[in-house]
Amino acid sequence: MIFENIYEIIAFILNSAGILQYMQSYSDALGISIAPKLIIILIETALLLVGVALMVMALTWMERKVLAHAQARLGPMITWYHGLLQPVIDGVKLLSKEDLMPKRADRWIYFIAPMIAFVPALLVFIPIPFGRDGAIISDLPMGILYVMAVSAISPIGILIGGWASDNKYSLLGALRAVAQDISYEIPMVLTVIGIVLITGSLSLQDIVLFQDKIWFVFLQPLGFIIFLVAAVAEMARIPFDLHESESEFVAGFFTEYSGMKFAFFFLAEYAHLFSIAAIMTTLYFGGWHGPMIPMIPPIITSIGWFTLKVLVIIFFTMWLRATVPRVRVDQILDIGWKVMIPLALFNVFITGLLVAGGVL
Amino acid sequence: MARTEEYQLNVGPVHPSTHGVLRFVLTMDGETIKDTEMVLGQLHRGIEKIAESRSYLQFIPYTDRLDYISGMTNNYGFTKAVEDLAGITVPKKAEYLRVFVMELNRIVNHLVCIGSLLLDLGAATMIIYGFRERHKVLDLFESLCGARMTFNYIRPGGVRGDIPEGFIDNAKEFLRDMPKRIGDYAQLINDNEIVHMRMKGVGMLSPEDAINYGVTGPMLRGSGVSYDIRKDDPYSVYEELDFKACTRPECDTYARYIVRMDEMYESLYIAEQALKRRWHPTLQG
Amino acid sequence: MDSVDKDKVTVIDATKIDTSKYKREVKREDDAASQLKSTGLLNTLVYAKDRAEKRDQNVILALVDQVVNWGRLCSIWPVTSGLACCAIEMMSMSMGHYDIARFGSEVFRATPRQSDLLFVAGTVSKRMAPRLKRLYEQMPEPKWVIAVGSCAISGGPFVDSYAVLTGVDKIIPVDIYVPGCPPRPEAWLYSMIQLRKLIKEEGVGITWGLDK
Repeated sequence: MIFENIYEIIAFILNSAGILQYMQSYSDALGISIAPKLIIILIETALLLVGVALMVMALTWMERKVLAHAQARLGPMITWYHGLLQPVIDGVKLLSKEDLMPKRADRWIYFIAPMIAFVPALLVFIPIPFGRDGAIISDLPMGILYVMAVSAISPIGILIGGWASDNKYSLLGALRAVAQDISYEIPMVLTVIGIVLITGSLSLQDIVLFQDKIWFVFLQPLGFIIFLVAAVAEMARIPFDLHESESEFVAGFFTEYSGMKFAFFFLAEYAHLFSIAAIMTTLYFGGWHGPMIPMIPPIITSIGWFTLKVLVIIFFTMWLRATVPRVRVDQILDIGWKVMIPLALFNVFITGLLVAGGVL
Repeated sequence: MARTEEYQLNVGPVHPSTHGVLRFVLTMDGETIKDTEMVLGQLHRGIEKIAESRSYLQFIPYTDRLDYISGMTNNYGFTKAVEDLAGITVPKKAEYLRVFVMELNRIVNHLVCIGSLLLDLGAATMIIYGFRERHKVLDLFESLCGARMTFNYIRPGGVRGDIPEGFIDNAKEFLRDMPKRIGDYAQLINDNEIVHMRMKGVGMLSPEDAINYGVTGPMLRGSGVSYDIRKDDPYSVYEELDFKACTRPECDTYARYIVRMDEMYESLYIAEQALKRRWHPTLQG
Repeated sequence: MDSVDKDKVTVIDATKIDTSKYKREVKREDDAASQLKSTGLLNTLVYAKDRAEKRDQNVILALVDQVVNWGRLCSIWPVTSGLACCAIEMMSMSMGHYDIARFGSEVFRATPRQSDLLFVAGTVSKRMAPRLKRLYEQMPEPKWVIAVGSCAISGGPFVDSYAVLTGVDKIIPVDIYVPGCPPRPEAWLYSMIQLRKLIKEEGVGITWGLDK
């Protein structure tokens, strides 16, 4: 069986279990024949949420452990095996924490900012192919454009969160974070143009299928380096972590946030990390391509390869965090506008020439 | 027409980069700091007033708590004054031991300084490595006097007591290992492009300013003034020991950092000489 | 012993002494109880015991208590605030050798809004005291305070100084005291373990304000 996307997989499973026909006839009798579709979509959404939440938890654990071992420490040890349950425990604690609202905060905006930051980080995963044979939520024909557009929403959440807190540190942190996000979005999109020129398609599934023989990291080395730097900046990891910049602005834009609202910003940060690593894998490291293991269904193997590549990229960023200091704000913007964008344009130019010449 | 105005930003007294309790009120124009007003006194403990009602010996523990990272050096400063007042001559043996512990304490001080510097720049790893070596020195001090930070070890007329068993072996092991560790730090920091971007040309302190403000120590030598009180106006047994005053002409944060790194090597060298001479068979008194 | 005249030594049999006349007169019990009642402490204690019993009978509430307390005790995030000498030992506690991260507490939050624990590490000068109180008030519930070092407990060596607050418990409530000047990192770790025990025994209702 070949499936198009996860919707069909769920429908097939429900169908072979005999539930779908029952649901269909029942909802037809009630006159709401769209109900089974909605239920499947709900299941899909739940799968996405749970998957991303699990991944984020794994990432926070991994971050603490990698950092600890790089610094000759052990990291969380007492909560189950090597502290594996630590993220769950942090979640329980943050849930039961008091939720403070500053007296002069802009109430509704303060309340809604964490959600605006968190939801786009989830939506980004829709057109990303996690594995072969339909392990994708929806293969949008404009996938890469959609991804870039949606991930550009979360700076709005950051900005209004910083504004609504009524705190100078928050406001300055938010302004810095947004300035950085915007100035690195541009080189990122420009490098993607190089890839789109070669594949001739905006769909992420097509881009992955194109990398059957050779990965784009070898076809677009300059583009990859620019994308890597821009990605680290978009993830707000340490050489470019103006979002938090602890030793300057206490905790950046979420200085005043506590309890579950803070947890949402935290989740959004790590979901963003995961999503950008996933996009990078898709664009430059051949997505789910990898040697297939016999006896195991290819869909599972390919998802495994995809996850492995994503984790390697994330490990790289954590390694960076353990090694290098932070770049100052004016230097970050200088690099973004004066170095990255010209280089990215140069990359587009070269790629265009090569494609027009028929080399690629 | 856009209108801009300056605003005030309060930093501290509890802020991650003040390292203690220090408060600034910054006048900012966007991201640029125009003016800094310092508000002091959050750690004013009235030590001078306490000193009035203590005897000389009773006051030594308070000197540990002045600069709590280099307690030995503070001990020595106070003790030296008392000895000069009372006209006490200190045996050579004790002086060498004092120099040894003071130089180790200087290494500890520089480790904490460099670690905190890198921590403020955003690299948390260096301070943990620095504290790892600091812990070894503190173990040595603890075997000498029983405390990790507040030593009360250097007393008028000598030191609190002679070294315990096994001290020399541990000290020699530390002196042997430490240069390699400093090399590790240098590898982590010195050639890092981002470190250069953050530290070169930042915090310029010209030699004239440094002298006029009365700056001393590595700060002064980082501004290109080759003045080391251990060399130019030697106290204790420093004039018998061979070392050089580390100087850098660049006047910026990076120069001061390099001076501290070089001084750690020099301190190791001095400590080694002091240890050697202290147990030299010909040493009298 | 032989030289002692045996006739003149009176041998005392300890079992036959009438000890009743040496006994100190004990105050009647209802006196102590009435004293307790007048302070209101007894009522509070009885009420707390009642509530704890009720909670233990209620399986769901007991389970919620256990899970939430477990979450709280394994992820105590301290606020980055050092006052004096002890702050250096606080740093060395979070470094490689002692590694507070094993208990899930290496996340030193710089902002009090996201932290659970305040280490009062060092001398609290009178100038600093209002700021420290404010820092404590900025932290969200539930929050705990550990007073570290003799300065924070009672003023320590600076007890007769004009500028030092003698004991931080005069301005904020303290849960654990760690003596020492400064305490060794092992003592800090021990205080963390004591705090975990304290949180484990705590009912959730107490810090949620349900008991009021």
